[in-house]
Amino acid sequence: MKGDREQFSENRVTPTGAVLVIGGGISGMQSSLDLANAGMKVYLVESSPAIGGKMAQLDKTFPTNDCSMCIVSPKLVEVGRHRNIELLTHSEVVALTGDAGDFKATIVRHARYVDIDTCTGCGLCEMVCPVTHLSYFHPPAEEGQKKKKLRPQEKRVIAGRSAPQPTSLFKWKFSVDEQACGKCGGCYKACLHGAVSWQKKETASIDQNRCTGCGACYVACPAAFDAVRVDEAPGLDKSIGAAVGERSRLLAKHFAEESRGSCIRCGLCAIVCDKVMDISALKLVEEGIEAGVDICQVCGACVSTCPVDYLSIDKVTNKDPRILANSFNEGLNGRKPVNIHYPQAVPRVPVIDSRSCVCLNSGSCGTCATVCGVGAIHYDHVETSSVVEVGSVIFSPGIEVFDASVRGEFGYGLYANVVTSIEFERLLSASGPTSGCVKRPGDGSHPKKIAWIQCVGSRDHSCNRDYCSSVCCMYATKEAFIAKEHDGAIEPTIFYIDMRSFGKNFDTYVDRAREHGIRFVRAMVSRIFEDPVTGDLELRYVDQGGTRQREVFDMVVLSVGIQVPEKVKELAHTLAIDLDSYGFVKTDCYQPLATSRPGIFVSGAVNGPKDIPETVCEASGAAEAASASLARARNTLVTRQELPPERVVAEDEELRIGVFICHCGTNIASVVDVEAVVEYARSLPGVVYAEHPLYTCSQDSQERMKEIIREHRLNRVVTSACSPSTHEPLFMSTLQQAGLNKYFFDMANIRDQCSWVHPDDPKMATEKSKRLTRMAVANASAAEPLKEMEFDVDSRLLVIGGGVAGMTAAIEAARQGFGVYLVEREPHLGGQLRHLSRSENGREFSGLLAELERRIGEEPAIRLFLSSEVVEQSGFVGSFETEIGLPTGATRTLKHGAILIATGAREYRPQIYSLGDHDLVMTQTEFGRALETSRAEDWRRLQVVMVQCAGSRCEQHLPYCSRICCNQAVRNSLRLVELYPEARVDVLYRDMRCYGLGEIDYRRARLAGVNFIRFDPENDSPEIEVTESGIEVRVTDPSIRLPVKIWPDLLVLSTGMVPRDTEELASMLRVPRNEAGFFIEAHAKLRPVDLSSEGLFMAGTAHGPKSSSETIVQAQAAVARAATLLSRRSLKMSGVVSVVDPANCAVCLTCVRACPYGVPFINEDHAAEINPALCQGCGICVAECPAKTIHLGRYDDRNLEAKIAAYNNG
Amino acid sequence: MLPCTGRIDESLLLKAFENGADGVMVIGCLEGDCHYVSGNIRARARVKRVYGILDTIRIGPDRIRMFNLSAGEGSKFAEYTNEFVEQIRKLGPSPINVVRAKQGSAVTREEAT
Repeated sequence: MKGDREQFSENRVTPTGAVLVIGGGISGMQSSLDLANAGMKVYLVESSPAIGGKMAQLDKTFPTNDCSMCIVSPKLVEVGRHRNIELLTHSEVVALTGDAGDFKATIVRHARYVDIDTCTGCGLCEMVCPVTHLSYFHPPAEEGQKKKKLRPQEKRVIAGRSAPQPTSLFKWKFSVDEQACGKCGGCYKACLHGAVSWQKKETASIDQNRCTGCGACYVACPAAFDAVRVDEAPGLDKSIGAAVGERSRLLAKHFAEESRGSCIRCGLCAIVCDKVMDISALKLVEEGIEAGVDICQVCGACVSTCPVDYLSIDKVTNKDPRILANSFNEGLNGRKPVNIHYPQAVPRVPVIDSRSCVCLNSGSCGTCATVCGVGAIHYDHVETSSVVEVGSVIFSPGIEVFDASVRGEFGYGLYANVVTSIEFERLLSASGPTSGCVKRPGDGSHPKKIAWIQCVGSRDHSCNRDYCSSVCCMYATKEAFIAKEHDGAIEPTIFYIDMRSFGKNFDTYVDRAREHGIRFVRAMVSRIFEDPVTGDLELRYVDQGGTRQREVFDMVVLSVGIQVPEKVKELAHTLAIDLDSYGFVKTDCYQPLATSRPGIFVSGAVNGPKDIPETVCEASGAAEAASASLARARNTLVTRQELPPERVVAEDEELRIGVFICHCGTNIASVVDVEAVVEYARSLPGVVYAEHPLYTCSQDSQERMKEIIREHRLNRVVTSACSPSTHEPLFMSTLQQAGLNKYFFDMANIRDQCSWVHPDDPKMATEKSKRLTRMAVANASAAEPLKEMEFDVDSRLLVIGGGVAGMTAAIEAARQGFGVYLVEREPHLGGQLRHLSRSENGREFSGLLAELERRIGEEPAIRLFLSSEVVEQSGFVGSFETEIGLPTGATRTLKHGAILIATGAREYRPQIYSLGDHDLVMTQTEFGRALETSRAEDWRRLQVVMVQCAGSRCEQHLPYCSRICCNQAVRNSLRLVELYPEARVDVLYRDMRCYGLGEIDYRRARLAGVNFIRFDPENDSPEIEVTESGIEVRVTDPSIRLPVKIWPDLLVLSTGMVPRDTEELASMLRVPRNEAGFFIEAHAKLRPVDLSSEGLFMAGTAHGPKSSSETIVQAQAAVARAATLLSRRSLKMSGVVSVVDPANCAVCLTCVRACPYGVPFINEDHAAEINPALCQGCGICVAECPAKTIHLGRYDDRNLEAKIAAYNNG
Repeated sequence: MLPCTGRIDESLLLKAFENGADGVMVIGCLEGDCHYVSGNIRARARVKRVYGILDTIRIGPDRIRMFNLSAGEGSKFAEYTNEFVEQIRKLGPSPINVVRAKQGSAVTREEAT
């Protein structure tokens, strides 16, 4: 079964096996990984300095409250290290020529000024950079002219409460170079302590006994002479800037917080201004500091250098200080011109901002380059441009939040304590500007009453944001939830229009939030007034009873909507793809990921507002769509790592351990005495080599490590450095390249867990480093070589279910070049779609179905089994065997490498309001069909009442929201009134959940006269009587606050969706379903179409209620995920898996019960067995086994016991 | 560092005391948020069992505690650690260490394993 006929017709020449992915948020990352893992070369272009996008900025994610950074950072690392993903950060696509299959993209890489390949991300440059503000640079000297010394006209003395108390701590030695001395006496006049002796026409000299080391002489000495020498200044060998920073940090450590605020005349401010910045605006005077406020360039160096917080930026200048806002923290705190985007950034390489860097603008400073231990800083970098050849393009540039200042009535930007939701997200984040402490930006106090205002920049025609942003209801609930978790005293209130918690498990989450004391108020806030004294905020709104209310809050969070940035619209124009009037990419609901230009696909919120799991789905789907027509070029442009043969280490070979103690620039070495740790390591049993590289992870250190392993015939390697979660893969791959089994390695974290947390106690930190190193050496000594098993992969896919999801998946998998078995229980294809009439854009579904059926019939790579069911299943990822029962009664065994479940759902039919007993009562789907055959003479003046949530969101029926019913009701109403303008529709609803662009139709329906009446199911549920004589509906209309009676001709019920019966299938496949019967994804956020067992995927309504276009996206996504397996000849598994030693197995079944993945089984030899292909390596069975006969390489008892023994064995 | 707190068992925890630890902290994922579904719940049960054992052998149950944290809660980790260290400081050295100090002999490798 080879399915490449279609590709030939699509493209005669072999296409380029590479894809350009634009945007490095979660969408672009997922697309890149799925493509690269399926044999495509990827160019990932990101405009900001690091990948991660909006998701990296979030604190937690709904509805699981997972820590966002925790779940996204493994993806960051994977993208950063993937050999087939070329990461181009700080770069932009400026042109795209050619056609699908053969594009040429021009990419501009902006000057970063830091070399990505040599930088180790230690962050020293950022620490030493003294600049905090955007300077007002003085115009540069004209060519050929000497730079003129600036002379201040306007001076201001900054005096404290008391006179400066000069300090001589960490004093530098100043002396006069007699040869150079110009005998001008400048130093003599500057010295405030009478330490300089000078007479006219004589050289000056400094009395070391009287000198306090303030350096006033040094600053005063004219540049022409430069006669004052500095000695005994640590860091001066690098640069004066480095020395200033060094002394400043030492002094800051010495002067505790409480003793700060008065000048200690260390003189560092004047030195940094003169010697580093080349300005000389500051002078030491008797009362304190004299500032030349007119020549100050407002760079902030003096303020950041001052160790006792004596100076403040507004005092030293007469200009407006412009702080450098940290964009990752939404401007809530500052940054340096040289800045690593965020702590977990990939690449963890800073960018120097050419606007604010003093060196790039005036040529002064240059401190960062002098401290960089690997010479990664290059001020001469320029913008470069390159052309890459790709077969397809994925457009996923992401979105920005609405500018809340447009809604002036909320005072954003004027009232300090009104923040946006993304700012609040940073306030909640442990790595944010307040370290996760919720504080009011205005005064730093802890707020008690916090209000969230929904739909700021969403569902708002007045500012051209007619659409619903889809995520705000949930993120606001989450923020309120987490804020209350941080501080139980917080009283959160959410002001909303409709609670749009339409996704899987969202309603349950909102209910939990309510139980946690979060107050939900259905009201639109009209205005906010600030109390100028307290900073408190008074909100005005009309409550549900129609009464005007005023309520005071400590803080207000505006739930800002999302929008397409102008730059993205420009980029779309460059790529020649069509956008709608809001800037979202135009797509067709049958091909929801294809843009108007063939070969360019779209994913993420730029394709309409959406949350993370939907974005991840689209990202995988776009990867599938982008690679299907390139399938013939798979594996043509990727590179594979060639490894030398592994050296066999005999069991009795003597230990030869090499230990590398990293300086990490000064990150570790400034606290820990690394040489002492090296000496100590040499004394440990088995250690034959130890050294202390400046950066162990740098390219040259890695090369050296390989040589050392060979030269010293090392059989174990230990590094004491940074975090294993970021660096262990790198070191392990170095071992492999040196021909050593990669598990002969261990790592101690003496940076994050030692030097960073104990900067004030170098002695104990050194001891702790020794102990951690000792434990790592003990663990490595106990290490065993582990084998990474390889399994052959059968490239065929089994698709269970022949609805729109299964049909799409089958066709797409065949296009990808895989054989497909499509199994459908019914005698025909089509599933639920056969009952539906029209799609979102009004086309009849019958056309889509016919087209899909035609393609399946013509596709030789698809084998279709109708009226057939799965009866037995065995095997594991890569080689499954499934038995299906055929309509003849016979069975047939299918072999395949992956399974895709697309069993679908159907419309719910509850026994309410006489549904099924009366022709005048029907479901929304039946009404859709009736509309198709309706005749004007019967329906011209038809009166319809629609009831939403009829059997949904209630305990007796379906507890969940079925997501699609509101949009379906709106579309059917619109179609009715468009066909018959005199017809009347009343929609009774609880919350209109017309998420995303569905909101636009909701507005159109209201304008077309459809009447929407909200009801509260607890207090005034509508009363409906259906009798032979007709239908009577009684309901209270909250807009007029009066009871109304309606006698409609038809009663249409939005009943929701229920999954098909899959109980047997689920137990056969050992995959979990939720209480409602929908399959549970492996991870609610990041693996939305994967099932928890390897090699199993799902798509469509089997996962949860969704629309047809969302189903098509999921089908494509599931195929992309399956392709990452099916495209390989073999799969390599981790070596860290549990192994049963059958000798001691008592067949007690403890492991079988304990395994959360159901992997252990009892084999023919009556012992437990664990399939290494399925084992996840958690070690739970190892701990539970009463016979201690299960072993987990690397984490076995012998390893852990060795480590524990080494803990106290100094 | 372990793949999951579900990997630890009672004997390993007791070994730590045997090897001179005055207190043991076990830190796992937040409950309901286990990377391996339920490992942290199992770990909690095992730590509880060790409470009992420590109580019986008069080392005292307060010397071991399980904490649940997410990877993003560095400051909370520091807070918990300081709190726990303070608690152990108050309790003083573990009886094992007291006896060994009296005997005037440091823990030797033989005793430890």
